[in-house]
Amino acid sequence: MRKTILIALTLASSSIVTLTGLVLAKEESKDALPLGSISRAEGLEAWKRIEAVVTHPRCANCHVDARAIPIWTPAGESKSRIHGMNIRGGESRIGAETVPCSTCHVTSKLPNPPAPAPLHAGIDWQLAPVEFIWFGKSGSEICAQLKDSKRNGGRDAAGLVEHLKHDASLSGFIPRAWAPGTGRTPPPGTFEDHVRDMALWGAAGQPCPD
Amino acid sequence: MFELTVNGTKHQVDVVPEMPLLWVLRDELGITSPKYGCGIAQCGACTVQIDGAAVRSCQARMADVAGKAITTLEAVGNGKLHPVQEAWIEHQVPQCGYCQAGQIIQAIALLKTIPKPSDKDIDVVMSGNLCRCGTYERIRGAIHAAAEKMGGK
Repeated sequence: MRKTILIALTLASSSIVTLTGLVLAKEESKDALPLGSISRAEGLEAWKRIEAVVTHPRCANCHVDARAIPIWTPAGESKSRIHGMNIRGGESRIGAETVPCSTCHVTSKLPNPPAPAPLHAGIDWQLAPVEFIWFGKSGSEICAQLKDSKRNGGRDAAGLVEHLKHDASLSGFIPRAWAPGTGRTPPPGTFEDHVRDMALWGAAGQPCPD
Repeated sequence: MFELTVNGTKHQVDVVPEMPLLWVLRDELGITSPKYGCGIAQCGACTVQIDGAAVRSCQARMADVAGKAITTLEAVGNGKLHPVQEAWIEHQVPQCGYCQAGQIIQAIALLKTIPKPSDKDIDVVMSGNLCRCGTYERIRGAIHAAAEKMGGK
């Protein structure tokens, strides 16, 4: 019974997050640029930099499919492997059905400890929603997905930029990818570069490579 | 200065914000059931309850747990033995005993989430708690027994 309640609460809060995302998507981000103010060529250049970020293990490893098996890329290694200790995010995507992610990935805004201690964030650790699969996908597949409102939390281009800023305001997963603690590799560039690139890509009409 | 409640008693501790809860419990408050095994959440020996949830205390830092209710093995039974502790004794689970406080706290969390766990449920949830004595078979038996004692509720 308690398990059912926990899962129901988790799914309910996921819906709230989705609804919040829908609302945010309708808000204009101060960082977003007017549609059409950036050329398609510049937009594709921006996408190349975005792709290098979203396919980086630091960002892709928790964007997994419905099996909800998080991926590890241990510090000093480039090959991915499944998360140890039988950890599964479950339908809740936060491990509520078995071991909550926050058992080890404790919610904290303090700087990340050095590898191999687990990473932390200012919001409860979780897998990305199941619609947002990045791990194992090509850059062009992720590009198509990112501009599809059915697979990006109902966000338009400005909403995606706002999502980044909102996550940063919570010391969430996205900006902390660039501050993963000693021994871990961050994605290329900086968080600010990524926000700027998302704005450029959005203003160019979200072009994707062929 | 931070305030936290451990086993129902309020404490004030003068430590740096980054100090892990495990250090605070053992070195500042003298509560020694949570053990230092690895310091990186890979063994589970330091597991305690924070606001009722099992958490690796080596990863919870003081600034993040201030004001929260911490429960260690010393108080899980509210003055008597918890059914999981009783089952642990009946099944003679501990050998060297070093990991057992963490094992019991994790087992209590398991039974809250899954009142009648299967062997597979136990293996999945207890996989993050390592035992160098290899008491896993006994742990499994004790968890089944504790589930019976608790009525699968």
